[in-house]
Amino acid sequence: MNKAAFSITGGLVAFSMLLTLGACGPAQTPTPVTVRETVEVLVTPTAGPQEPVTITFWHSYNEVSPENDMLVNTVIPMFEEQHPNIRIEPLTVPWEEFLRKLSTSMAGGVAPDVARLDIIWVPQLADMGALTALDEAMPDFDQYANAVFPGPLASNFWNGHYYGLPMDTNTKVWIYNQQMYDAAGIAGPPHTMDDLAGQCAAIKAVNPDAYLFAADGTWAWVMLPWIWSFGGDITDPDVTRATGYLNGPNTVAAYEFWLEMYNDGCFAPVVLGSGIDPFTGLAQGLYASIDNGPWTYPIIQSQFPDMEPHASLFPAGPGGSIDVVGGEDIVLFQQSDHPEEAMEFIRFVLSQEYQLQMAQVGQLPVRPDLIQSDYIANHPYYGIFLEQLRTSRSRTAHPRWQEMDEIITNAGQLILRGEMTPQEALDSAAAQIDAILAE
Amino acid sequence: MSYLARRLLTNASLYTLLILGVVITVLPFLYMISTSLKGPVYVFEYPPRFIPAEPSFDNFVAAWTSHRFDRYFVNSLLVTASTTLLVVLFSSMMAFAFARFRFVLGRALYSSIMIFMMMPAMTLIVPQFMLASRLNLLDSLPGLVVVYVAQNLPLNTFLLKGFFEQVPRELEEAARIDGASSWAVYWRIMLPLSKPALATAAIFSSLGAWDEYVWALTILNNANRWTLPVGIASFHGVFYSDWGLIFAASLIAIVPIITLFIILQRYFIRGVLTGAIKG
Amino acid sequence: MRRSALRDSLVAYAFLLPGFLFLAVWVVYPMLKALQISFYDWSILPGQVSRFVGLGNYVRALHDPLFWLSLKNTVAYALVTVSGQLLLGLIIALLLDRVTKGRVFFRAAYYLPVVTSWVVVSLLFKYLFNSSPSGFVNYLLVDVLHVMSAYVPWLSEPETAFVAIYSLGIWKGVGWTMVIFLAALDTIPTEFYDAASIDGAGRWQIIRLIVLPLLIPTVVIVLIMLTFGAFQAYVQVALITQGGPLHRTEVLLSYMYTRAFRDLDFGYAAALSYVLICLVFILGRLQLRMLRSEPVY
Repeated sequence: MNKAAFSITGGLVAFSMLLTLGACGPAQTPTPVTVRETVEVLVTPTAGPQEPVTITFWHSYNEVSPENDMLVNTVIPMFEEQHPNIRIEPLTVPWEEFLRKLSTSMAGGVAPDVARLDIIWVPQLADMGALTALDEAMPDFDQYANAVFPGPLASNFWNGHYYGLPMDTNTKVWIYNQQMYDAAGIAGPPHTMDDLAGQCAAIKAVNPDAYLFAADGTWAWVMLPWIWSFGGDITDPDVTRATGYLNGPNTVAAYEFWLEMYNDGCFAPVVLGSGIDPFTGLAQGLYASIDNGPWTYPIIQSQFPDMEPHASLFPAGPGGSIDVVGGEDIVLFQQSDHPEEAMEFIRFVLSQEYQLQMAQVGQLPVRPDLIQSDYIANHPYYGIFLEQLRTSRSRTAHPRWQEMDEIITNAGQLILRGEMTPQEALDSAAAQIDAILAE
Repeated sequence: MSYLARRLLTNASLYTLLILGVVITVLPFLYMISTSLKGPVYVFEYPPRFIPAEPSFDNFVAAWTSHRFDRYFVNSLLVTASTTLLVVLFSSMMAFAFARFRFVLGRALYSSIMIFMMMPAMTLIVPQFMLASRLNLLDSLPGLVVVYVAQNLPLNTFLLKGFFEQVPRELEEAARIDGASSWAVYWRIMLPLSKPALATAAIFSSLGAWDEYVWALTILNNANRWTLPVGIASFHGVFYSDWGLIFAASLIAIVPIITLFIILQRYFIRGVLTGAIKG
Repeated sequence: MRRSALRDSLVAYAFLLPGFLFLAVWVVYPMLKALQISFYDWSILPGQVSRFVGLGNYVRALHDPLFWLSLKNTVAYALVTVSGQLLLGLIIALLLDRVTKGRVFFRAAYYLPVVTSWVVVSLLFKYLFNSSPSGFVNYLLVDVLHVMSAYVPWLSEPETAFVAIYSLGIWKGVGWTMVIFLAALDTIPTEFYDAASIDGAGRWQIIRLIVLPLLIPTVVIVLIMLTFGAFQAYVQVALITQGGPLHRTEVLLSYMYTRAFRDLDFGYAAALSYVLICLVFILGRLQLRMLRSEPVY
């Protein structure tokens, strides 16, 4: 561009800088103080602020879901009744974007007060300094810590402190299409990996286009049950290195089993990234089995009401039947202006009331004392999940878990695409994870 | 072959080719409509069917009533209307200045407009995000409008300038002799004479704002403030997508724009060309 | 009556002011801010200091295989979709030009994809190109038209995923080019055709020797605008493949966005976006030079 245009741009820049500097700083909304309020304070002395405090609460329940319904229409009103000076403002943020939105909101200084975080995000955010250590901030922390299962509690632990409390827990179980089993003459769900492999021929005989099992990716959430059940692992127990574990003989065996089943046409190609998703395939009679969490039941009931899902434990490999623990924790953000009120909400979330209500919409409670309750004991499908939970394990708690997950995902993809052998791919992945752990 | 027969054959093949092209162009839309009438079990049935086995409007009802869709619609309307108003006003003002005045740095400023036109909008998203954050515009509809206006000003200024330059000057000259101010000339003469071009600018900026996705996705958090593109994309989950619902929602979203286009087609096309060819 | 040049300037500036205000704040300032950010390891969390790295981010890009991959993908996307839209748009315009009845209908029908949102059409094509036999494209090609023998896992492999993405890019833009060419054809006086016919020229000859050369300025404009559009590709990749599998379908903008908003690596993302800006500018200048060198008819 010519010189004049350049100097014009320069002038515009200067001008726009002035503009922005002038608009610097967050706009302050003045707190309304009314005369009436002052009078009320004199007449009816009460402790605490008269004006309701609003606590923003981020979660990833779908807008239209039984969970969100329960949250918005039953549970939050319950809390607000008990705490008239606190209002809860819930916000749906889709799971895929949760971390991203959190990060940018923190950058903009508009992070929520509390959030229902996937347990795998807690170490990362804690390490960033974004979360308040609850064991320091809450004087009665131990009371709540002792009321929950140790496994879910541990997901909040990082660097010597607890940065949250568990809200709900879950795991995956084996879910199968009974009709397809019947048509193929299969007696029941597989108890071991050998059982599983044996089922393939029968399923294919009935319908060559059908698949024995489908998962829609090679993320850690998908692969870990297989890795663990074959006796393998990602890292050593102290999380110092991956070599010897991620590329150890048992893990390699798990991936080799997967590769063989995939190449034989037993495991569906949707694992490579596209095709028919597991739920639809299960309902359509395309996939004989999938593995997934308790939300499967509400989804199938609402989307595919003609299908009845059946569940069993994950097939046992040499290492046993070990599945992966999921769940969510409730955390308090450092940026919160109202930590005291936020902690009231956290206490409520840990209460029997809350846990029992949310248990009605697919949220497994984290309190052992509730597991014996009538509701849970007689629940149509929680039983199998609770049983699986006895042996389920947690994923690695590390601030850079997302990166490690991506490395594992890529390794799985390379293996299934035949671009690397399981040993090669896992060797490479282990080396990459070692590099992360070393820092 | 007689001349007439040859003409008929040519015409027939012409139309055949053109209709084939239309079929290919429109086929995806038709299948989208078909899927929007299907329940989840039929979305991936084999063999896929054009005429649904059990057609129903359930998806449309679900999309409109339960997913806060009406909110998305209203937000999109508000944002689009504001953007269009501001863009048409400001770009016509700028175009008027460029078309009718000789002034210092005029050429340079116009060149800068051309340069802004060449900027891929998304490349500025990072600093724009930071700026919106500083100005407290995050998670707000005005935050959308200001960026949309900036994104749509260059092209529409370019278009309108091309158009304004062709408007005969006699009326203006006469008005000036009678002592009319520049604003009066702009408001009372230029604008009324330029309705087709303004309509085009309005359509372009409406399209730009109605369909914009990336900026909205980046700065909007609260679902109450989502616009249609963000809402529709949110129906598409990583683990499970309700395609019937997605397409029902999409159809609801594209009907206004397509209607607008069909009605204002003539203005639209004429305006595009005036700008593109003469510019 | 002559108005003073100064007064003219002031009035003109008054008219320019609101628009340029918006542009100054939301285009110029970000443009320069992005440049500044690109020289830092920029931290956006409040209270944290950003580290100056000079050209570090740009050097990092040069050594980043994902950068080169996404660049390659972007250029390939531009090459394929621009030529596709150009050719098909031209052909359809030439055909439509000969037609007297139903022009309005055809024009509207071909233009439908142009006015439809990228979000909608990307999701639509993702659905149509589903890898299973129930995917519309698979079903059409294998079971209906029998032009292929096996179903294709379209979105699981980068090469085939790009077929879906390119198809979308071309399908979406053909109508736009067609309209522009139609109008350009309109400006060719019928006398040209008549004169050529009288001289005994066949239809095809007329097109080749008269029409096409006259269309060259239009072709250049269309080329420029299509190229700009192609380099801005983002939504189609983000929604159809998310840049996968294994980041193999990333284009520059999708890669930049991931770095910025997933990894919060704002400095690096700013550097990437500046590379794109420079690329687009250079291309633009090259093409503009081409335009100016063409004789105007």
